[in-house]
Amino acid sequence: MGPLLTTKLHPPRRRRGLVARARLDARLDRAGEVAVTLVSAPAGFGKTTILTEWLAAGAPEGRSAAWLSLDARDNDPALFWSYLVAALQTAVPDLGATTLAVLQSPQTSTEAAVATLVNELADLPRELVLVLDDYHVVDSPQVHEGMVRLVEHLPVQVHLVIAGRADPPLPLARLRARGELLELRAAELRFTAAEVAAYLTGAMGLTLTADDVAALDSRTEGWIAAVQLAALSMQGREDPSAFVAEFAGDDRYIVDFLVEEVLARQPERVRTFLLQTSILARLSGPLCDAVTGGDGGKDTLEAAERANLFLVPLDDRRRWYRYHHLFADVLQAHLRDEQPDAVAELHRRAADWHARHGDRAEAIGHALAGGDAARAAELVELALPALQQGRQEATMRRWLQALPDEVIAERPVLSVGYAAALMVSGETAGVEARLRDAERWLIDDGSRPRPAGRMVVVDEAAFRRLPSGIALYRAGQALLSGDVPATVTHARRALELAGADDHVARGGPAGLLGLAYWRTGDLDTGARWYAECAASLEQAGHLSDVTGCALALADMRLEQGRLAEAMSTYENALRLVTPPGGPVLRGAADMHVGIAGVLLEHNELDAARRRLAVSAQLGEHAGLPQNPHRERVARARLAEADGDLDGALALLAEAERRYAADYFPEVRPIGAVRARLHARAGRWPDALAWGRQRGLSADDDPDYLHEFEHLVLARALVARYAADGDQPSMAGALRLLARLRRAAEDGGRTGSLLDVLVVLALAAAVCGDQPAALAALRHALELAEPRGHVRSFLDEGRLLRRHLAAVANGRAHGYAGRLLAASSPGATPVAARPVPAWPVEPLSARELEVLRLLGTDLDGPGIARRLFVSVNTVRTHTKNLYAKLGVNNRRTAVRRGQELDLLTRGGDEPTLAADSR
Amino acid sequence: MTENRHLGLSDAGRYEIRLAGRLDDRWATWFDGMTLTTADGTTVLSGPLADQAALHGVLARIRDLGLPLVAVTRLDADPHVPPR
Repeated sequence: MGPLLTTKLHPPRRRRGLVARARLDARLDRAGEVAVTLVSAPAGFGKTTILTEWLAAGAPEGRSAAWLSLDARDNDPALFWSYLVAALQTAVPDLGATTLAVLQSPQTSTEAAVATLVNELADLPRELVLVLDDYHVVDSPQVHEGMVRLVEHLPVQVHLVIAGRADPPLPLARLRARGELLELRAAELRFTAAEVAAYLTGAMGLTLTADDVAALDSRTEGWIAAVQLAALSMQGREDPSAFVAEFAGDDRYIVDFLVEEVLARQPERVRTFLLQTSILARLSGPLCDAVTGGDGGKDTLEAAERANLFLVPLDDRRRWYRYHHLFADVLQAHLRDEQPDAVAELHRRAADWHARHGDRAEAIGHALAGGDAARAAELVELALPALQQGRQEATMRRWLQALPDEVIAERPVLSVGYAAALMVSGETAGVEARLRDAERWLIDDGSRPRPAGRMVVVDEAAFRRLPSGIALYRAGQALLSGDVPATVTHARRALELAGADDHVARGGPAGLLGLAYWRTGDLDTGARWYAECAASLEQAGHLSDVTGCALALADMRLEQGRLAEAMSTYENALRLVTPPGGPVLRGAADMHVGIAGVLLEHNELDAARRRLAVSAQLGEHAGLPQNPHRERVARARLAEADGDLDGALALLAEAERRYAADYFPEVRPIGAVRARLHARAGRWPDALAWGRQRGLSADDDPDYLHEFEHLVLARALVARYAADGDQPSMAGALRLLARLRRAAEDGGRTGSLLDVLVVLALAAAVCGDQPAALAALRHALELAEPRGHVRSFLDEGRLLRRHLAAVANGRAHGYAGRLLAASSPGATPVAARPVPAWPVEPLSARELEVLRLLGTDLDGPGIARRLFVSVNTVRTHTKNLYAKLGVNNRRTAVRRGQELDLLTRGGDEPTLAADSR
Repeated sequence: MTENRHLGLSDAGRYEIRLAGRLDDRWATWFDGMTLTTADGTTVLSGPLADQAALHGVLARIRDLGLPLVAVTRLDADPHVPPR
């Protein structure tokens, strides 16, 4: 994302010669009592001015205020919300950091960003007013949708003021009914007769008769822009009454008439300047010089501002200005009428200037407005990488749509960029045609005629990556349509075509291959490709994306029953995103949640709880978009282990609300996790209702993607038989379990097999077939013991525990006995595996000292004196040890230190040596 | 409703847009190619527009100039409305 324009984040500078409007200020003061204030009126009714004046006068009292001037570019949701957060940060610097992180993460949604923003706003200690000016320029449904969400969940201490020329598509009627809407509209904003008089004779110092003032009031109907233009037209006239008479008797469009009067009174040089620069959204001296081909632009602008020529200064240093929108429109109409042939050239110059000064977006806008499609296309091609990185797909598509198809077709980089933009927004229909357009230029093996015309390439590096990129997008398309063989073919081709050390280009296809094999249930191959994807991304330095791979990889390892590998996958990725002394990167929270999941299965509930707490402390910005729901599913499992069924169900409901889809196959849908909970708790009718709703049946063909769901269905059928002895249910369950068992064995999915065996043992047990139950259970225990599975058994309840006891009778010190011991209160961990070294990165000796002193009453300077170092050094150590412990304040650092037994360790105390010096 | 009613959202059409106030001829270029006629203190913009989006574009320009809108009429014979 390019740099944000700071001029948008402040109200314009106050203008001279204004009329005090106490009645409106008093109305606006009520803005602090309602959720939304709407200032809705046509151009030239002084909307911006009253808001600027109201804020400048110190209102709203005791509140922070933020301002955002919108323009057409803000129809890109990514840009709109970034600007909105930047505006908020001018008032509250720390606000919105998490929201920005969510905005910049891949596969995120506006919904997630707005939800995060609402949470951050809810924590504000003070009242805050946010003004959104020129809201009528917004026509993006996605932006409106986000604003509706924001308004509907707006915390009480936040007040929105929305100014524009049209009523926004927000739930205004509902707000009105609740008394949460304050409206200022044209009838109220217009100058009253008294204000017209005060402005003309007071502020502007004109000598007018009462009749003149009345005539002007009647002709302008209090339209402020018209009154101001009229005043300008009359300045310095010998006989203003004659002008008033002419004006009052004319029926022309009032602004047109007046601007003509004003222009006629300017020197030719100034008049030409105003017309030629009217095409600019923002004006600076150098830019004006470039467009007009003259010099002295800065002086002309300053003089025009002094002469009140509707020029609005945008900053304190008077570098940037804009024309009042109404004035600019009328000037442009004059320009097009008088110099129609000059317009394109003026836009071309503006485009060149902006391109030279790094504002590509503005340059592209002018190139398009000037009809120079080739230039625009060239600029768009150069802008693509930044747009893709900034997730500004909406902007990308708007520009590409503005370019003629034939211009895009001769530019392969743009064609593929278009395909990428379409894919990201889920529109797969036009993708293949764009890829073919690009390919025509790439394949030159004589198999097809060379296309007519010429190929244009600006970004050579991007051009070289096209063959691999095209194959990658084809693989992505194939995966979306569920065509695994085609996914594999195209992804392998993409890998062949990618440079050996182009790690970014290799990561994508490797990941798609991993996904493709995962979907088929070939987890070994899937995991191998994912490991390669992770390695490429790590080499490319995309560390947060490595954590995304780790999630996939660990999910597969868990199904395989390879808990230790899942654990080390999470731990390795966590190390990458929590570099010692560096900031915690996104994905760290997900790794803690993943680790908690493995710990849970080992029945190390307290350790799991701590990991979940660490994840929560890291905050939402340290998590991938899927972490909110993954974290709640993990907490639900913890609640289940604690015997808190209602708590677990509530957490699963929350997980569903926070659900964010990704490309992963949904092998454990939240609904199925809930149904398993129901089945285990004897609520089999609920579980079976879920199965019917999902269209599952005991006679379905086994299929890896539904393996977990089918197993839950079998569990529910067993529960039903146990309750009412329904024979067909048990028969169905046994048929299904036999098929699931075979499929899990064939696919080498030991984790799945273990779960199947446990349910099989239960089924046999409720049928009274003790030998079969014990056989299945023994088999499950053999698989479980070396891997440390515990909860898979304990969560199944009393019946299974009785059978564990039967197994344990034979082998007093066997695994079954240890499981039973673990299921009693006050139990110790079962698994023989060592408790993982934690924190991941050990604290240095110096950091340990600082941590121990943080546990005393000493303050920062006190600790520094004790250690004979500077306060800054203490700060650095503190920061580093916080990062390693995964905490963000002193209190939690000390608590964590106590939990880890770091505070009391004596022995090699370098502190003492320093002290006794 | 089972009948496949034609909504005309993507159809080109001729429109007449009536505004309060007299607009000078020069504004014809501003309203891409529409014809301007003035009478009795009102202005009528008329001409072909590509589709509904183009119509709303013109209406937005009218709004941005603060011109009071009086009426919008579609001139082509509308199959659903009997001709006046």
